[in-house]
Amino acid sequence: MSRRMVTAEPGAHPETRSTLLEVVDLKTRFRTDAGTVHAVDGVSFTLDRGRTLGVVGESGSGKTVLSRSVMGLLPSRNVEREGHVLYEGTDIIGFDQKRMSQVWGAEMAMVFQDPMTSLNPVMKIGNQITESLRFHLGVDKGEASATAVALLKSVGIPAAEQRLKEYPHQLSGGMRQRVTIAIALACGPKVLFADEPTTALDVTVQAQILDLLAEQQRERHMAMILVSHDLGVVAGRTDEIMVMYGGRVVEQAPTDVLFADVKMPYTEALLRSIPRIEHPSHARLEAIPGRPPKLISPPKGCNFAPRCRYAQPKCTEETPPLVAADDPRHLYRCWFPVGSAEGADALARNLADGTTVAYPTSPGSAPAAATPGTDGEGA
Amino acid sequence: MPAPSHDPVHGAVPGSGSVFAESGDFATEISDIADGDALGLAELHELDPDQVASPRAKRRLGLAFWIASGWFALVALAALLAPILPIDDPNKTVARPRLAPSSAHWFGTDALGRDVFSRTIWGGRISLVVGIGSILLGVLIGGAIGLLAGHYRGKVETILMGFCDVLLSFPALLLALAIVGFRDNRDVSTIVLAIGVVSIAPVARLVRANTMIYSQREFVTAARSLGASNARIMLREVLPNVVFPVLSFSVIAVAVAIVAEGGLAFIGLSVPPPTATWGGMISDGRNFLADAPWISLAPCFILFLTVLALNLAGDRLREFFDIREGAL
Amino acid sequence: MRFVRRKLIQLVVVLLCVTFLSFLLISLLPGDPATKLCAGAGGQECVDQKRTELRLDDPIPVRYVRWLGDAVTGDLGASARNQQPVWEALTQRVPVTIELLLYSQFMALIIAIPLGLLAAQRAGGILDRVSTTVLFGLLAVPSFMLALLLIYIFPVKLGWFQATGYTDFTDNPLESLGSLFLPALSLAAAEMAVYMRLLRTDLIATLQEDYITMAKAKGMPPRRILLRHAFKPSSFSLITVIGLNFGRLIGGALIIEIIFGINGLGKYTVDSILGQDFIPVQGAVLVIAVGYVLINFAVDMLYAALDPRIRHARALA
Repeated sequence: MSRRMVTAEPGAHPETRSTLLEVVDLKTRFRTDAGTVHAVDGVSFTLDRGRTLGVVGESGSGKTVLSRSVMGLLPSRNVEREGHVLYEGTDIIGFDQKRMSQVWGAEMAMVFQDPMTSLNPVMKIGNQITESLRFHLGVDKGEASATAVALLKSVGIPAAEQRLKEYPHQLSGGMRQRVTIAIALACGPKVLFADEPTTALDVTVQAQILDLLAEQQRERHMAMILVSHDLGVVAGRTDEIMVMYGGRVVEQAPTDVLFADVKMPYTEALLRSIPRIEHPSHARLEAIPGRPPKLISPPKGCNFAPRCRYAQPKCTEETPPLVAADDPRHLYRCWFPVGSAEGADALARNLADGTTVAYPTSPGSAPAAATPGTDGEGA
Repeated sequence: MPAPSHDPVHGAVPGSGSVFAESGDFATEISDIADGDALGLAELHELDPDQVASPRAKRRLGLAFWIASGWFALVALAALLAPILPIDDPNKTVARPRLAPSSAHWFGTDALGRDVFSRTIWGGRISLVVGIGSILLGVLIGGAIGLLAGHYRGKVETILMGFCDVLLSFPALLLALAIVGFRDNRDVSTIVLAIGVVSIAPVARLVRANTMIYSQREFVTAARSLGASNARIMLREVLPNVVFPVLSFSVIAVAVAIVAEGGLAFIGLSVPPPTATWGGMISDGRNFLADAPWISLAPCFILFLTVLALNLAGDRLREFFDIREGAL
Repeated sequence: MRFVRRKLIQLVVVLLCVTFLSFLLISLLPGDPATKLCAGAGGQECVDQKRTELRLDDPIPVRYVRWLGDAVTGDLGASARNQQPVWEALTQRVPVTIELLLYSQFMALIIAIPLGLLAAQRAGGILDRVSTTVLFGLLAVPSFMLALLLIYIFPVKLGWFQATGYTDFTDNPLESLGSLFLPALSLAAAEMAVYMRLLRTDLIATLQEDYITMAKAKGMPPRRILLRHAFKPSSFSLITVIGLNFGRLIGGALIIEIIFGINGLGKYTVDSILGQDFIPVQGAVLVIAVGYVLINFAVDMLYAALDPRIRHARALA
C-alpha cells in the first residue's frame, strides 16, 4: 500500500516493549507579573513504543501544558522548564529550536483540540500536508502530493485529490480533524500527542475520530498520549491513565487497574460525572463543586482538599506524597484513599457533620461539598 | 468579580449546568496576571486556551498619558490667556527682522520683525479652536447619524450610512480644501465647517458600530420591555456606553484636525494673514531656513509636540477603555 | 460571481453620488456662480456666456445629467485664467501624481513590512521597542513639516537631490525617481508608521493562533512560519488600509507638490483654488474622487481574491 512509504522506515520498531519516551520530574512554570504559575509540577511517566497513555483532568489541571511542555512547544520567554524528557534515551529538554525542528513532525507530532483553529485558514490543505513532507523527507513536489493523497485516503477522506486544492473552511469539522491527523501522521512520527482531539467536534463524529486514531496507531505501531477531560473517552482506549490535578499527577495506573480500584477521591468524582447508559436519562450528573486550584502560590496541603468529600484536617496541613498501592504500578496522592478504612471513616464523619475541614465555619453553605448528589445552585 | 477561591462561601458553590465546575476563578486570576503585559498573553494563551477569558489591558493610564495631557493643558492655557499674557502684539513689528532667539524674544523674530513666541501662542488659538471646534461639529452630527443608524437599522441605516460612504469617497483633505476654496470668506468658522464635515463620517461609523453592540445587550432589551421610548433608550441606555470610544477617538481626531488646519494654512487656505497660524508661520519661514531656521522650526516644534501629545493620550485612552480597532 | 456583482452595483451607486456631489460644488459658490466663475476674466460678456454654457436656469437634475455626459466624453470645461481645457491639463498632470503616490506607497511598504515582521517576531525586543517608538513619533510629523526638514537637510545643507522640479518618467526613469525621492519620502513617513503598527499588531495576534503552534509542531523553521503561515492572514487589514491611505496621500500631495514645485494634480488643484478658477477645481475633485473610489473597489476585489474564506462565503451567500 502506498501508505507504507510515509510510515517510519521498517525495522525502526522491532521490539514491541521498549521505552520510547521517559519524562522525569518535569516542571513547567510561567513567570507572570502576579507571580509564578506552577502549571506542571513534577510529573514523571514512561511511554513504551506502540502504547497509549491517557492524561485526564479538568481545565487548569495542566494537561495541555504538559503535552506542549514535553514536546517543547511552549514559547521560550517567561517559561521555565525543568526535569528530563528522554526521547529514545536522549534528553531533548536542552535542545534548541533548530534541533527540535528535526524532532517535531518527524519524531513527535500533535493533533490539536479545535481543527477550526489549528488549520491555517488561508493555505490549501495540500500545501499544509506536503510542506512537512518536503521539509523532513526532502521529497519533490509530485511525490509529496502523491503521499498527501494517500494520507488523506488513509484517514478516510473521500475525493482526496480534489481536497488538496481546497481550503479548511470548505470541510466539515470532522473532516478537518481528519486532515489535521493526516498532517500529524505525514512524516511517520513515533509518538502522537492528541490534545483533546474530539472536544470541539459533534458528538456523532467523536467516536469516529477516536477510532481512526486507534486504527492508525495500531497500523503504525505508534505511541500515543491522549489528553482528555473525559475519563469516559480514555477508558477503553488507553493502556495507562494519568489523572492530573493542579499541575500534579494525583493518580496513575494501568487502565484496568485504575478502574478496578480507584484510590483518589478526585478520580472518583470524575467517574461520577460521566453519564451512564444504565441510569435513567433524567438522572442528575454530579458536578465537582468548587473551582480548580490556584496555581500561583497554592495553599499548603493537598490541593484538592477544598473540593473533597473526604477532606480532613491533615489534608490542609500536609501535602500527600505519591505512593504506590498494593499493585506497585498504581500510584496515588491521598491521605484518605477511596476504598480504604481511613477513607470510609473520613467520609462518614464529613457526612455526619454536614461539612468538611475546608469549610469549618459555614455549616449552611458547605454541604454542597460534602453531600453527594447536591445540585449546583448556580455559580 | 474578585472571588478568592479560599472564600468558603464562593468555594463551595458548584458550577451550574456543566458537568465540570466552571474555572471562573482561574480565569479571573489569568486576567489579573495578564494585566499590563500584553506580550505575556501569548504565553498565557498556551496555558489552557479555554481558561483564558478575554484578557484586559492594564487599567492604568500611565505617566506618559499625564505628561502628554500636561503639555496639552499648557498649550491650551497659553492660547486661552494670550490676550492677557505679557507678550508682544503678534501682528506688530517689535524688533529688527530675523533676530535669533534671546531672552527678549524667546523664539526670535520673523521676517517682518514680529515676535515668533507671541505669534506661536496666538497661532495656538486658531489651531485649538479649529481642532476642537471641527471635531465637536463632527461628533455632534456624526454621533447623531451613527446613533440613529445603529439603533433603527433598516432603511434609516442604509440611507445614513450611504451618505457617510459618499463623504468617505472623497479624500479628506481634498474635500476640506474644496469647501474652503468655494466659500467666500476664510474666517475660523469656514475652516471649522470644512474640517468638521470631513470628520462626520468616521465618527458616524464608530458610533454606529458601538450602538449596534449595545443595542443588543440585555439592559437595553430590558429597558425596551419596560416600555422605554426609542429616544429614551438611545439617550439614556446606549449613549453613555458610546461616550468612551468616541472620547478616545476624538482626542486623536483633534490631532488630525490640527494637522489638517496646519496644512491648509501652509498653502495659504486657512485664516488669511496677518492672523498668526502655525501652518502659516511654518510656511512664512520656508525661505529663511538657511539663516533664520527658528521662524519655521519654533512653530514646527510646538505643533509636533502638541500632535504627539494628543496621539499619545488618545492611544492610552483607547487601551484604557479596551477599545478594539476591529469594532470599526 | 455574486459577490462581484453586488460590489459592482455598489460601485455604480457610489460613483453617481460622488459625481453629483462634485457637480454641486459650483452651487456652493456664494452669490451668482456665473459672476464668480468669470472673476478676473471677461466681463459681462463672460458672465452671459457662462450663464448659457452652464444653463444655470435649468433644474439641477437636468444640469447634472448634461454635465456628467460632457464629463464622460472628456469635456470638463476650461480654465477661466488661461482657457486651457481642464481635461487636457488633467491628462498631463495625473501621471505625475500617480507616480508620486505609488512611489511613496512602495517606499512605505518596503520599510514597514520587514520592520513589522521583525518587530512582531521578537515582540518586546529592542528592535520592536525602538522602531515602535520612533514610528510613533513619526506619526506626529505632518508631511509638510517633514518636507521642510528634508529640504533643509538634503538640498540645502548637504547638496543632495534637488529641492524643486520634476523629470518625466518617460524621459529618464531613474532621474524621475530621483527627482521625486524627497517628496515621496515626505509622504511615506507617516504611512510607514501606520503600516508597521498595523502589521505588527496583526502578526502578534496571528502568531498566537493554534495553526502557528501546529506549524511549529510540524517542525517548520521559524522564518517559514513567519512568512508562509503568519504573514498572509495578517496582511488583510494592511491591504484595506493601503487602499484607504491613497486618500490621505492625495491630501498630502496637494501640499507636497506645492512645496517641491511638482506640476501634478495637487498643485493644479491648489493653484486653481488660489486663482479663484473654479471649473478646473471641480474637474480635479471629480477625477480624484472617482479615482479614489475605483482604487478602493480594486482593493476590495484583491482582498476577496486573497482571502479564500471571503471568496467562498460570499459566493455561497
